[in-house]
Amino acid sequence: MLVVMKPNASQDEVDAVVAKVRSLGLVPHAIPGAQRVAIGITGNKGALDPALFEGLPGVRDAIRVSQPFKLVSREVKAEDTVIDVGGVFIGGPRVAVIAGPCSVESEEQLLEAAQAVKRSGATFLRGGAYKPRTSPYEFQGLGEEGLKLLALARERTGLKVVTEAMDAETLQMVAEYADVVQIGARNMQNYSLLKQLGRIQKPVLLKRGPSATVREFLMAAEYVVAHGNLRVALCERGIRTFETATRNTLDLNAVPLLKSLTHLPVVVDPSHGIGLRAFVPAMARAGVAAGADGLIVEVHPCPEKALSDGQQSLTPAEFAGLMDQVKVIAGAVGRPF
Amino acid sequence: MFIAMKPHATEADFEAVVERVKSLGLTPHPIAGTERRVVAVVGNTGSVDPDDFAMMAGVAEALRVSQPFKLVSREVKDEDTVLDVGGVRVGGKGIVVMAGPCSVESEEQILATAVAVKKAGASFLRGGAYKPRTSPYEFQGLREEGLKLLALARERTGLKVITEVMSTETVPLVAEYADVLQVGARNMQNYALLERLGQVKNPVMLKRGLSGTIREWLMAAEYIVAKGNPNVMLCERGIRTFETMTRNTLDINAIPVVKTLSHLPVIVDPSHGIGLRKHVPAIARAAVAAGADGVIIEVHPKPEKALSDGHQSLDFAEFEELMRQVRVIALAIGRPVM
Repeated sequence: MLVVMKPNASQDEVDAVVAKVRSLGLVPHAIPGAQRVAIGITGNKGALDPALFEGLPGVRDAIRVSQPFKLVSREVKAEDTVIDVGGVFIGGPRVAVIAGPCSVESEEQLLEAAQAVKRSGATFLRGGAYKPRTSPYEFQGLGEEGLKLLALARERTGLKVVTEAMDAETLQMVAEYADVVQIGARNMQNYSLLKQLGRIQKPVLLKRGPSATVREFLMAAEYVVAHGNLRVALCERGIRTFETATRNTLDLNAVPLLKSLTHLPVVVDPSHGIGLRAFVPAMARAGVAAGADGLIVEVHPCPEKALSDGQQSLTPAEFAGLMDQVKVIAGAVGRPF
Repeated sequence: MFIAMKPHATEADFEAVVERVKSLGLTPHPIAGTERRVVAVVGNTGSVDPDDFAMMAGVAEALRVSQPFKLVSREVKDEDTVLDVGGVRVGGKGIVVMAGPCSVESEEQILATAVAVKKAGASFLRGGAYKPRTSPYEFQGLREEGLKLLALARERTGLKVITEVMSTETVPLVAEYADVLQVGARNMQNYALLERLGQVKNPVMLKRGLSGTIREWLMAAEYIVAKGNPNVMLCERGIRTFETMTRNTLDINAIPVVKTLSHLPVIVDPSHGIGLRKHVPAIARAAVAAGADGVIIEVHPKPEKALSDGHQSLDFAEFEELMRQVRVIALAIGRPVM
């Protein structure tokens, strides 16, 4: 249920609603908005009677939320969520660009990639220090050493750092170094990790699982928000289909669909979405044309020597070309870039 | 295998190559190009040595084609195929827009739609007279009566007509009325139909099967071309995945991949690809941004009253707005909307 306060409701009136929710053994979630305050209610088994709240002072409306996802739903919050990452935004009019290598491999590699993507206009640096590799025999990432290199690259370039946390044990440490904590596709339904993310102070980039429906994806985001962290961005990175010519099938249907169902920002990962370097720019253009709020693109100074994902990583020159193309599309759909 | 002639090769050199291919019991397919002439050779070429051709007069090179699809492959023909449909070019620099109802329902409905989509800038009218409906109890189309109405709409508006042909028996009839014959997704691997379409003069639009891989789809196109009709365009219309919120999952990845593997034009169907009216424009924009040569859109005067596909059909005002958005993207990538 969502309790919508009147625009002129006082703080006391809001507090009274919150207290009432708690007295019923339920969980209140204050949802700030530009026009009005709303209070999302979770924890109820079965439908709540709107009459419980409708008569309270300052309350305009009590609405049942029809979707199974509540706090992330547009029904609860009509305005787009804009995540402020130290003055750089994900969501809102500007298309955010996150770029960098699949894995942090060395100081030289990371700094070279960071400087290159910064030059081309990216505002976030990606790079994995903890890598969920399909094979246990492949490079698993530099661990904390990688996080330190990411922090160094941030210091040198001013780029914000997006990096993956793979488990609850290392989450605190990753959150200490990262500006945005990424949850990989394979962990989309790792519910204990999602709950932990609700308690950190960093924004989260939640990737869609390879075989997760849009509804399951939103339910996973709901876990993070329900546990207290409202700063979640969603990332479509391709789903598993029967097609074998491409690594995954980038589901761009999901972009307008998600944008209509949720207020959270939607980022598209064309690198994993198609998995073939030559086609990443076309899919980045398509992602922005479909309405994505951001892109995350793999870039490596020397893709053929990359320890992971070389076949889908762009060279710095190719990335500069992609940025030129995306700028044109962003302009066409009326979004600054 | 394909044999590329030198730019200055004579007609006699070319004929000699063709004769040699025939003498080996293989089928030569001459392919015209602006740069050079190519003879593609299909049949069991395993025992033929390309070097035997490479040494002939006027021959630049003779190579095996590594892909299982041959005539539709970029290896055989590097330049984009541009189909001329009565003056409307499909596959060139311009982006074509095909629009119209799922099914032809009545004279009033098809004429009103034709006039509206023409006014908004479409160059083709779509509309099914033979409908492959999932349920045998649902409206199956007006058949020849529908074809006549499409011809009438063409006469009134000048739009080219694209309509589906479902069976080999009706190919001659549909080909008489249609400018472009559409093969529906469910018939992508109806090989008897594909072979029959190799024998018609009309261009063919081949929709991707619901679970057709890119390779299977190109092999299906190869059937039509191998049987003698090189005028084929492909249409991505969404594939079957586990996702249930959308009717299909439009595989936009397929656009740049197919454009690289094949010289055939690629059209995208966002209406079936997502199946939800309000999201059709966003997906149409994405398709054009990814490099599609055209889009095919379902439009109906009153979608809520349509006999089929109403939930994914746009009304006239929505279609006009879609055209505006598609033009902006097309312009951004330097392609005019035809």
